[in-house]
Amino acid sequence: MLIVLPLIGTLLCFLLPRQVKALGLMTALAIAASAVALLWQLLQQGAMRYSVGGWGAPLGIDLYADGLSLLMLLITATVGLAISIYANAAFKLDKLVHFWPLWLLLWTALNALFLSADLFNLYVSLELLGLSAVALVALAGGSAALGAAMRYLLVSLLGSMLYLLGLALLYHSFASVDIAILAQRMESTPAVWAAMALMTVGLLLKTALFPLHFWLPPAHANAPAAVSALLSALVVKGSFYILLRLWLEVFPLSHAAPGQLLGLLGAAAILWGGVQALRQTRLKMLIAYSTVSQLGYLFIAFPLATTMAWKGAMYLLLSHALAKSAMFLAAGNLLLFGGHDRITQLDRVAQRLPLTLAAFALAGVSIIGLPISGGFIGKWLLLTAAMQSGEWGWAVVMILGSLLAAAYIFKVIGYAFTQAEVTHEACEVSKTMGATAFVLALAAIVLGLIAPWLLALMDIAEPFAMSSAALNAGAAA
Amino acid sequence: MNNAYLYALTGIVLFTLGLYALIIYSHLLRKILAINIMASGVFLQLVALSTRARPLLDAVPHAMVITGIVVAVSATALALALMLRLRDASGSAELIEESTE
Amino acid sequence: MTLLQWAFDGLLGITLIWLAWRTLASADLFKAIVLFIAFGLLMSLAWVRLNAPDIALAEAAIGAGLTGALLLVALARLNVVAAQTGDIESNTKQISAPEDSARTTAVVGQGVSNKHNLFQYFLVLMLSAVAAGLAYAVLSLPSEAPGLSRDVAENLNVSGVSNPVTAVLLNFRGYDTLLEMAVLLLALLGVWSLNRLPEQYESSPGLVLDMLSRLLVPLLLLVAGYLLWVGSRAPGGAFQAGSVLAAAGVLLLLAGWRPAARFLGWPLRFALIIGLAVFVSVALLMMLPGGQLLQLPPAFAGALILLIETAATLSIGVTLAALFYGSRPRSEQIPPHHTGSGGENE
Repeated sequence: MLIVLPLIGTLLCFLLPRQVKALGLMTALAIAASAVALLWQLLQQGAMRYSVGGWGAPLGIDLYADGLSLLMLLITATVGLAISIYANAAFKLDKLVHFWPLWLLLWTALNALFLSADLFNLYVSLELLGLSAVALVALAGGSAALGAAMRYLLVSLLGSMLYLLGLALLYHSFASVDIAILAQRMESTPAVWAAMALMTVGLLLKTALFPLHFWLPPAHANAPAAVSALLSALVVKGSFYILLRLWLEVFPLSHAAPGQLLGLLGAAAILWGGVQALRQTRLKMLIAYSTVSQLGYLFIAFPLATTMAWKGAMYLLLSHALAKSAMFLAAGNLLLFGGHDRITQLDRVAQRLPLTLAAFALAGVSIIGLPISGGFIGKWLLLTAAMQSGEWGWAVVMILGSLLAAAYIFKVIGYAFTQAEVTHEACEVSKTMGATAFVLALAAIVLGLIAPWLLALMDIAEPFAMSSAALNAGAAA
Repeated sequence: MNNAYLYALTGIVLFTLGLYALIIYSHLLRKILAINIMASGVFLQLVALSTRARPLLDAVPHAMVITGIVVAVSATALALALMLRLRDASGSAELIEESTE
Repeated sequence: MTLLQWAFDGLLGITLIWLAWRTLASADLFKAIVLFIAFGLLMSLAWVRLNAPDIALAEAAIGAGLTGALLLVALARLNVVAAQTGDIESNTKQISAPEDSARTTAVVGQGVSNKHNLFQYFLVLMLSAVAAGLAYAVLSLPSEAPGLSRDVAENLNVSGVSNPVTAVLLNFRGYDTLLEMAVLLLALLGVWSLNRLPEQYESSPGLVLDMLSRLLVPLLLLVAGYLLWVGSRAPGGAFQAGSVLAAAGVLLLLAGWRPAARFLGWPLRFALIIGLAVFVSVALLMMLPGGQLLQLPPAFAGALILLIETAATLSIGVTLAALFYGSRPRSEQIPPHHTGSGGENE
């Protein structure tokens, strides 16, 4: 089981701190293997529902796996495995004894979150996710990281509170917190609208959609590199996933005005995040703002709300997870190498850390959305969806966003090739660390090549079909 | 008619009060208190509305709130520990806006 | 409902709101915390009025008691640090409300301080609107709703316990509780992963506290055991018992007692995780005979729940007490200490 495994790993790592390296890695491998096993099961028998404790909803808690959750689990396993390897090379043992239990709990939370079909269970998973992420940020130490962690914690708790209040309203309206049951019983009442508003705002806060993104750049930039990669690649996606589930299944009645609003915020995020990224002088801050911008893309799907748009957003989410983790790891290497991450003083790292820079460049290709990369497929799908609905505005914003991304990526690469005025003593960066970053970036590109297969996976139990069906019904009526 | 709505509304007032304080005050201890008050408000509303099941007892929200209370104390403990470290490292128990450098 | 009851509920509601406001607005942080504890105690009264004795117990023990203790000890440490750095001013007596909010505005980045009033009014307006909307939403709910009470009642006899709240916590929605135990452990891991704070228990506990702890600790242990045992049929259970256990631990810590170093390594870690470990093992074992994860067979459910709860009580108690202590125990010999010399954090 995907949830129990990392939990057991946590306990073992906590009990036997001397063996964390081996224990942690073994757990990571086991989790990855069971994610693949789940892929196999789903391919055989389609979507799965599992009743924990054998009670079944509404009394008990159900788990549910379809194409959407499967892909999230797979991407978590891929990125997670790579980061596990990287962390073992990057942290010293005294950090690792703390890193491993926390990271495995975070992994538990992510897996639990992607599998749960129960809104209250999702709340507990969200708290587990938020608190472990905060603790990992604080691992960096120093006042900047601690301050960022504190801010992150408060924001995360506030988001959970809003979510829980909305959940209370839903429970008292429909006597269940199971997503499928709620979807059946859904009707448009004031309580439902209030719940939708509360839960959406709470989750947006955690997903850091503009203008609720203020906490993200410091938190992501000040964490240790491996943690930054985790946060940007996976943690923000957790709350986005819940949001997606809610909007696709629980609140399908609400696509008109609120969806437009989310789209507009998304567009604003793309532009604002892009411009801010361009203005940054520190590499990790640049990458963090790039995350703000890329997250904006995901929300463009909400006003379009066609199957193709959802798939595009999903594709973008996956490739962003790979590319952004690669970028943060690469930035971590540069930081370790030069002792700083000021962009203008990168000093010919191209020659000294070729693998790391290649990773950064490849990841950049996917972030910009150049052809054959995963990012390209995602943006292409979203663009096509926008054109098909005749909504050119969204398309223009997306293209502008890509241009901005190209600008900030090339800014970094440009400095990486030129000699800086300040030469610095170089620290040794292990080969493993360069290689993991490179493999992740390569995976982001490969994602573009296996598009047909991935798109087919998304169709398991058709998580995206429902809303467009509902929309069509609405249009016909 | 019973006291369900009365307590539910009290819960909402507490929630908003906490939210206001969370935004307005800068001392971290106050912010942590504010979050706790918000949580109490949410819990109150969650359980108060469940009394609409009277004379039966709906235990599910009760269990949820107990879970919530434990989660809240965990979060509070972590927040307080962070606050002390922050105070140690930066000399202030307030959040300072970081320069975007 | 009689008029008297209405009056009582109304008064309680208003007092709660007033206390919350005083807590948040009081200029003195110490006073704020004391008011918060009073708020927690009144909350338990509200839970009793709402027919939720289990929550009342949990709220009094955890919400008011332990959270209060955590807050107080944090404030004390804050002041010690402040005394060391020489600005006690800014902590205890600081911050009359307007000055405070002026700072906030600066923090929020809204710019100059005479703008902050405008921002404050705007915020009040916005939040009032939010509250009104929420109130409308709540009032629009039908006045009678069974919730899941029938499902719970129907399945209670196969759950192994007769207290419905325990049945939901440990059986119907046991998976939530499993994750919740993980959250608790996580909080401790998080706290331990931070740097150690300088040891601050310099003062000797004094005779009264010493006597008190000798008297109270055995009593608290008894109460914890009782709550644990009775939880299957009456209000009580692992969380309440665990927090009473933690209270005993806190008292001992306050009285200056420190466990011997040899208990602090492996035995402590073991006690911290046994709750979660037993829970996970039981959950997995239930899959062996072909059941679902965590599917407790009715015949053994009672015993299994007691087993889980006993382990959980121990872990909850130790975890909460360790959270109160605040940082990694010193004598832990896990890998070479990395804490640099005081000020410098890595």
